[in-house]
Amino acid sequence: MFEREDETVERVIQHLRRPAAIDPGLDARVMRAITQAPPYRRRVWPLWSLLAAAAVLAVVLIARPWNRNATSKADTLQFVLVAPQAASVALVGDFNDWDPARSPMQTAQGVWATVLRLAPGRYRYAFLVNGVEWRADPGAPAAKDDEFGTPSSVVTVGGRGS
Amino acid sequence: MILAALLLVTQVAAQDPRLERLDPDTRSAVAAVVDSAHGIGLPVEPIIQRALEGATKGAPGLRIVAAVRRLAVDLGTARTALGTSASEPELEAAVAALRAGATPHVLAHLRDVRRPPLTMALSVLADLVASGVPADSAAAAVLALAPKAGDADLVEFRRAVERDIALGAPPGAATSVRLNAGALDVTNSSGTPGNPGTPRRRPRP
Amino acid sequence: MALRGVTGRARFPCDVATYAMGIDKVEPSDADLVRRVRTGDTGAYGALVSRYRDRLGRYAVHMIGDREDAEEALQDSFVRAYRSLARCDDPARFGAWLYGILVNRCRTTGARAARRRRMFVHDAQALDGAAHTDRADQLDWTDAVDRALARLAPDYREAFLLKHVEDLEYEEIAELTGAGVSALKMRVKRAREQLQKYLREAEHV
Repeated sequence: MFEREDETVERVIQHLRRPAAIDPGLDARVMRAITQAPPYRRRVWPLWSLLAAAAVLAVVLIARPWNRNATSKADTLQFVLVAPQAASVALVGDFNDWDPARSPMQTAQGVWATVLRLAPGRYRYAFLVNGVEWRADPGAPAAKDDEFGTPSSVVTVGGRGS
Repeated sequence: MILAALLLVTQVAAQDPRLERLDPDTRSAVAAVVDSAHGIGLPVEPIIQRALEGATKGAPGLRIVAAVRRLAVDLGTARTALGTSASEPELEAAVAALRAGATPHVLAHLRDVRRPPLTMALSVLADLVASGVPADSAAAAVLALAPKAGDADLVEFRRAVERDIALGAPPGAATSVRLNAGALDVTNSSGTPGNPGTPRRRPRP
Repeated sequence: MALRGVTGRARFPCDVATYAMGIDKVEPSDADLVRRVRTGDTGAYGALVSRYRDRLGRYAVHMIGDREDAEEALQDSFVRAYRSLARCDDPARFGAWLYGILVNRCRTTGARAARRRRMFVHDAQALDGAAHTDRADQLDWTDAVDRALARLAPDYREAFLLKHVEDLEYEEIAELTGAGVSALKMRVKRAREQLQKYLREAEHV
């Protein structure tokens, strides 16, 4: 009985493996659907175009914090820390290899700021004050997994125009 | 040809000059994790960034290695839950959600009810938990909103909940109140498969 | 180090000469075609569609149980894959990645088709009853198989088809479905048992 039952399932499998005749017209329907959308190239944001866009837009965008261009995938974000006593504040995070030299912040009366353009992703970051003190961003969600004993924050760029 | 492929794989970490910030022992342990992850198709950039974070923060080498190993495993779990078409940002956000207490089942469910990218939805889930919302409440809220809410709506939801918590509301209550309030605007009342039913429309006061 | 993930063996060879009927052996590989699409050669995507249409279509037809719905799911999956081609991390594994999209898409179609199938199964049971009284109405065997398959729970059917008909490894199925390997093995086992049971019932007319 065991053998026969196994045989039954094997017959089923052989039957199911036969090619299912799919309408070959499906190919044309797919191609029609995709060519109605903009060509593939324009949907991708290669790094060079992101950098070019950032260069062109940087001056305008700095004057308008939290600007969100609804049709682009990358976002330009302003990071701010109020630290009137600090001599230097650097922004470090997953977007700049945690390198304090990459994104030093500028200050006006104790308010430190910088602007970054970020591709979609979830980024851990923190502020390094005077080269020694780690501070999270009080205005941002906390990075819950604090594996190195210092506070960090999180910023997320969703990747879909909102 | 397999040998060549293996050699190619082991080059990945060796070539990344950023890892030179680590001491030699830590560097080779991290490189091994990077190469393993790359070998099974997981994104390596998050792993490298985690190592660099540890380096900048002056963490002991063993702690850095433990952190990157844990991250590699979690990226694998995230990918199993979300599938091979998940992007790097989605996987990073999924790891955060998993660590916040979302189950792989929740992630798979989210994938079924929301068009990609899932990055923001997963992030909001993790961020809600970081604010004190219980993991299952956060998951339920995000899953309820996921089919119809845009990324901006989800962010606004999170901010509203965080404001309420800062004003003293219990996190779970803040979440459900905001969810019910928001549901009137975000969705119509018909549920979709797998979406816990949204509340009926109530007349506005 | 224990990292979860897909084993290295490729289940979707770049040139599908072994599966597809009559395709010239000097076909470009999946990776080549994906690269060409990414540089703007939309037409190259047509070759990928032709290449995978029948094989993925087979899964969709058996999973969904309705040819029209299956073709719609297949068409949607191809279009979705094209639109998110940037997220295919490994063009050489385009087939597996496309598969993941299709498996997900079949799940959402499942709800609609399930309503149709429930009516169908109801008829099957009624017919079985009638056949008890009239041997001349004995069901054709292939119809019996289709009905038996339709009676399986979606999870079981999915796992059974991916394992035994599409020949995937459990690790690959785990990635596509988000389920664990042991859960999948159980589902396949149950599916086999239930198929035997349903077919036995159909035979004893």
